[in-house]
Amino acid sequence: MARIELKGVAKRYGSVEVLRDIDLEIGDGEFIVLVGPSGCGKSTLLRMIAGLEPISGGDFFIDGTRMNDARPRERDIAMVFQSYALYPHMDVARNMGFSMEIRRRPPAERTSRVKQAAETLGLSALTERLPRALSGGQRQRVAMGRAIVRDPRAFLFDEPLSNLDAALRVEMRLEIARLHKRLGATMVYVTHDQVEALTLADRIVVLDGGDIQQIGTPLTLYERPANKFVACFIGSPTMNVVPATGRDRTLSLKNGAQIALPQSAGLERAAELGIRPEHIDLVAPEDADLTGTVDLVEHLGSDTNVYVSIGDVGMLMVRRRGNAPIRSGERIFLRLQRENTHVFASDGSALAHASAEAA
Amino acid sequence: MGRTADRRIREVESQAVTPRTAQQAAPGIFRARRSLYLQYLVEPFVYLSPAIVLIGVVMLIPLIIGISYSFQAIDLLRPFNTGWIGFANYLALWSDRKFWIALENTFTWTFWSITFQFLLGLGLALLLNTQFHGKKLFQALVFLPWAVPTFLSALTWAWLFNPVIGPLPHWLAALGILSEPYNILGDPALAMWGPIVANIWFGVPFFAITLLAALQSIPSELYEAAEIDGATSWQCFTKITLPFLAPMIAITVMLRTIWIANFADLIFVMTGGGPANSTHIVSSYIFTTAFRKLDFGYASAVAVALLLLLLVYAVVLLWLRKKLVRI
Repeated sequence: MARIELKGVAKRYGSVEVLRDIDLEIGDGEFIVLVGPSGCGKSTLLRMIAGLEPISGGDFFIDGTRMNDARPRERDIAMVFQSYALYPHMDVARNMGFSMEIRRRPPAERTSRVKQAAETLGLSALTERLPRALSGGQRQRVAMGRAIVRDPRAFLFDEPLSNLDAALRVEMRLEIARLHKRLGATMVYVTHDQVEALTLADRIVVLDGGDIQQIGTPLTLYERPANKFVACFIGSPTMNVVPATGRDRTLSLKNGAQIALPQSAGLERAAELGIRPEHIDLVAPEDADLTGTVDLVEHLGSDTNVYVSIGDVGMLMVRRRGNAPIRSGERIFLRLQRENTHVFASDGSALAHASAEAA
Repeated sequence: MGRTADRRIREVESQAVTPRTAQQAAPGIFRARRSLYLQYLVEPFVYLSPAIVLIGVVMLIPLIIGISYSFQAIDLLRPFNTGWIGFANYLALWSDRKFWIALENTFTWTFWSITFQFLLGLGLALLLNTQFHGKKLFQALVFLPWAVPTFLSALTWAWLFNPVIGPLPHWLAALGILSEPYNILGDPALAMWGPIVANIWFGVPFFAITLLAALQSIPSELYEAAEIDGATSWQCFTKITLPFLAPMIAITVMLRTIWIANFADLIFVMTGGGPANSTHIVSSYIFTTAFRKLDFGYASAVAVALLLLLLVYAVVLLWLRKKLVRI
């Protein structure tokens, strides 16, 4: 198992800079998820760790050894590809044992390792099949088996679940979490799906436009996003963000509503207020911060999403647990949970946070 | 069509069952059934008829006539001595020394031509599958020989081997391969190599084009996966590239072998089968027998022998392909 360090790593294609000054330390046995919108450079970063893309700048270490120019096979890292990249002319067993075949390990060792991996992944009955005779989920498992058999220093996953249907995705997500628990291996996982990121990661790295926006545990990202991008990217449904101006410890919204925050620092730089749909309460008219009309109600069974339009402020989404008896056209009274309110400056960065102060 | 046919079968079956139960004595049932069967049998061939007629007229009928010629004496120089003669042509073939030399030459010619064409073509394809400066121009140049008319390249090569105007004999002599710069096309021991060299030059583009196309269809992730699995470039080549190319290799080698075995143009222009019949291959021997000596009966017998040889070859290669290729 390995510690992976990136110091000021950059990637350039000609004059185009795809990744800038990436600093990241991945601890031994840690599960790191790289997440971001498409084109943010997360897959490129993963491929640079694997050795499939040359590193244009900075330093890259595995267990303290500089590995910038090492070939992939010298890095001893396994990777699971989005397309699985199974060898179509080899059966499942040979696919899984290919790395040992390459290293000329004795066949007995090879078969026993493959057998063991096949058992853990529930592939024992399929070892003689060719990849084309497997379903998507089975292929995914074989691709993971190929990585497990090698017992590498680290595992890399490049959007491994994006080709599966929703039900299977949940199942395989669980499988990967279990795998990490059992092997205790260092894993780096790329996805654009925040649910995968939040459920799997020890720490999440949010990337956008070639920069790291924030590194932190799933809860940190949810509760204390460093900026507006992270705030809107993490969490579903998305955070409500409305324009606001601040003075001392009070925010005023466009319709004149005043919201006093238990914040120590001044709010002079405030430009926007962010509040997650689940952090807005329905209250009696006299306690309300805002009053609005219900535009649309979505009943999801476990939750109810309510779209409320509030005069000049715009549209707010409110999420209620369970099946709330709300009808569209109704007048509704809202109160923002003070400790879960986020304030952003005009450059998008988050201002000091109430709950951060408390913590 | 499949669905209609299925439905028709079902109708036929249902009719086959019903008479016993419900319509015990319905007349005409069986006649209807037979005509349905007939329609079912004949109809597909009606749709196929344009292709069948075309293949029949262009291929099958000439083939049958050709085979029938091999059992007849048809020699235009002896017009009164014609007719069916059974296996006489084949018996003559068995004891014809020139035929056996031509057969041996066919093997030499085909084997060396195909081997070098394939290896050089594969090399070029691998080279063209990488990125380098001036690739487009190089690619165009590689494919050029294929576009040159055969007889022009044959003439050019014949001149290149001629010590009076061509540089090749002088180079070969300077390298010590030849004792003095003479024309190898005039030496019965070496003459075969003239057309073989020309043929290699002529045929490399075919392999380069087809193998390049096959190479480009291999997904790049497989190489990345193999590299991460720890494979060296050579292991990538033997364990991924070759298995992927195998079907294409099998089919192109088979096709080219058959074409080259039949490909007499270069030989005919460069040596005319000489000196002393030392460069005749079976197909050039067929050509001279038929159109120089005008003995069509005997030429047909030789042609049938060649056809059988190539059939056996094709069957063996297709069997090998089925055995070895798993994709």
